[in-house]
Amino acid sequence: MERSEVRSLYLLAVFLACAYTVPFLVGAWAGTVRFDERWLGNLATVVVAGVMQGGVYAMFALGLTLIFGVMRIINAAHGEMVMMGAYLTWVCFFYLGVDPLLSMVLTLPVAFLFGVAVQKLLLNAVVGQPELTALLITFDLGLTMIYTAELIFTTDFRAIPYAPGTVHLTRTIAVGQNKVISFVLAVVISTAVYLFLKLSRLGKAVRATALNAEVAMVCGVDVRRIYLITTGFGAALAAAGGALVSIQFGFNPETGVVYTLQAFAIIVLGGRGNYMGALIGGLMLAVLENLVSLMVPNGTAVVELAAYGLMIFVLLIRPGGLMGVKEG
Amino acid sequence: MRSTPTLAGALVALLALGVVPARAGHRPNNEVLVGGAISLTGQYAEPAGRQVNSIRLWVDDVNARGGLLGHRIALRLLDDKSDIQTSIKLYEKLITEDKVDVLLAPYSSGITEAVANVTERYKMPIVAYGASASPIWEKGRRYIFNIVAVAETFQKGAVHLARQIGVTKLAVIGQDSLFPRQAGKGAKDWAQRLGIDVVLEENYPTKQTDFTALLQKIQASGAEAVISNSYFADAAAQLRQMRELGLNFKLYSSTVGPALPNFAEQLGATAEYVLGFSLWEPLPGVLGYPGMKEYIERYEKRYGEKPNYHAGGAYGALQVTEAALKHVGSFDSEKLRDALATIEVQTVFGRYKVDAKGMNSHEGLTFQILRGQRRVVWPEKWAETKAELPIPEWSRR
Repeated sequence: MERSEVRSLYLLAVFLACAYTVPFLVGAWAGTVRFDERWLGNLATVVVAGVMQGGVYAMFALGLTLIFGVMRIINAAHGEMVMMGAYLTWVCFFYLGVDPLLSMVLTLPVAFLFGVAVQKLLLNAVVGQPELTALLITFDLGLTMIYTAELIFTTDFRAIPYAPGTVHLTRTIAVGQNKVISFVLAVVISTAVYLFLKLSRLGKAVRATALNAEVAMVCGVDVRRIYLITTGFGAALAAAGGALVSIQFGFNPETGVVYTLQAFAIIVLGGRGNYMGALIGGLMLAVLENLVSLMVPNGTAVVELAAYGLMIFVLLIRPGGLMGVKEG
Repeated sequence: MRSTPTLAGALVALLALGVVPARAGHRPNNEVLVGGAISLTGQYAEPAGRQVNSIRLWVDDVNARGGLLGHRIALRLLDDKSDIQTSIKLYEKLITEDKVDVLLAPYSSGITEAVANVTERYKMPIVAYGASASPIWEKGRRYIFNIVAVAETFQKGAVHLARQIGVTKLAVIGQDSLFPRQAGKGAKDWAQRLGIDVVLEENYPTKQTDFTALLQKIQASGAEAVISNSYFADAAAQLRQMRELGLNFKLYSSTVGPALPNFAEQLGATAEYVLGFSLWEPLPGVLGYPGMKEYIERYEKRYGEKPNYHAGGAYGALQVTEAALKHVGSFDSEKLRDALATIEVQTVFGRYKVDAKGMNSHEGLTFQILRGQRRVVWPEKWAETKAELPIPEWSRR
């Protein structure tokens, strides 16, 4: 490791330690931090909730980072694919009576095929073109998806009442059942995708293409096919995220935008194209947001400021993101 | 180039005279153009959509009885996408390019506040039906009127009910935008007047979906009741997460969410006992406003659901506009403005008579969701039933 690299890591560690201490200091100054048993219970609850939330966000960010890593395409319609997953789950639940988790067996292949179609019809034309072209075409795709969803489902908010109970981890730490279920599934799916990429032949081909498409092609990898599979997987991961989000929050055709931003922030923070980075980025953002919200007076109003502030400083110290390699 | 000075001179002369483009009667088929930009898509699409229902109903009603002052109405509704900047541009376009004769109001306090600057500049009067933030009427504007009650009164009933059940510590939370902030300010004032301590006051970003940390903070503050100045998604998320986290409060009141028809339906049992505010309910037997029963019947026949207060307010405002136009006898916007400032009209939504600032003294009602139905619980003169408070704990429901 280069010396500058080591220095930036130390700097990062110091910065992160400070960033996560600030809410405590502000809280202590404002008197919201109390350190009695009940308050520590509140603190532990928000940290646990943050980790669980972060896990789900990281999963659909993984889809975004996968597509970016392989094709250098920023999928601006990623949040809409999340939204599509939520609606598919909703339709299965309300019209077919299928359990939201079970319905993934049905919805993920549909989303995979949708991703393949998007790749064939739209993205193949823009791979290798300037990044802005792909950004515009996926942005357009996202808008088309929003308006299509509004035509079919109207703009009314939908919610899936699923697993509304409470899980008591300890006497003072409670988490929603649906959050636990979502988190466990997100971890399982993310791990499966990670192992697939690391171990399987096809996964290795995907990674090879991400490293250098031309060399991969020379080595006999069918790069066009890899592209199809990558976008398929990306869309399926987004749809899985949609299913997990749908059992926690209300959604309407417009909610996808929020998730695009969330996923984008996570992969920029974690390091574009890096799978572990997505996980760490997701957890870091969600936990910091919750700490600020809990302790800073009127802190919930500034969670976005805190999140994007963190992102900016991390990028200043390490322009490639937490796990990113030096660009160029 | 020689004509330039003449042209410029003519323009200056026009501006000096304050010439308003000729209105009405200049359109093919003797039509009058009624138009506005409203949130057909975006975060406000749900409440605004119900207002659009009423607008379309009113247009057809008026056309069926011979039109506005004998002119058939052509309706032009544009989509502001729930976005302030888009709305400003569209109103500029409606006034200067499309040259509408009668302007319709947008939805939400934030957008109305921005649009009021445009309508003020072009001296086009509007009767707002989707804006409750009083600051809009405290800037000396002359061309904007209101039919609904101001935001500060939205939580009045809930705070009174909290007092009745002996709540001493209150949390006031709300979305970080104009209307919820004003509603929060009103709630705080009422709490102070009634001797209730506001132990937590917090706003959250409009896109917030996870309220775990905020709810933990409320619990840590010792608040017994929650006044939430929220719309649909945020109120729904707060309730679901309270249930998931097993957090119990004696009272929970949300400004907008519970008043939307599908709130109780989408949330099921989680929505029970929630207090909501309504500017109006489709209860002719309780409110007894003239024409109300017929309006509700026609609306329900056409849209398959009873109108909510968003719909009722829009229809009422349009009745006011129609009455004022009849009073004036022309589409002269200056005369229309004067009529709107002085006229008294009985609408399906209640009485319209504005004060010097342009605000109507409309009285709303507080309801509680009980067994899936919205039941009026405050003020007492309109109460259908007694409020069931404090809310039973989640574990006993």
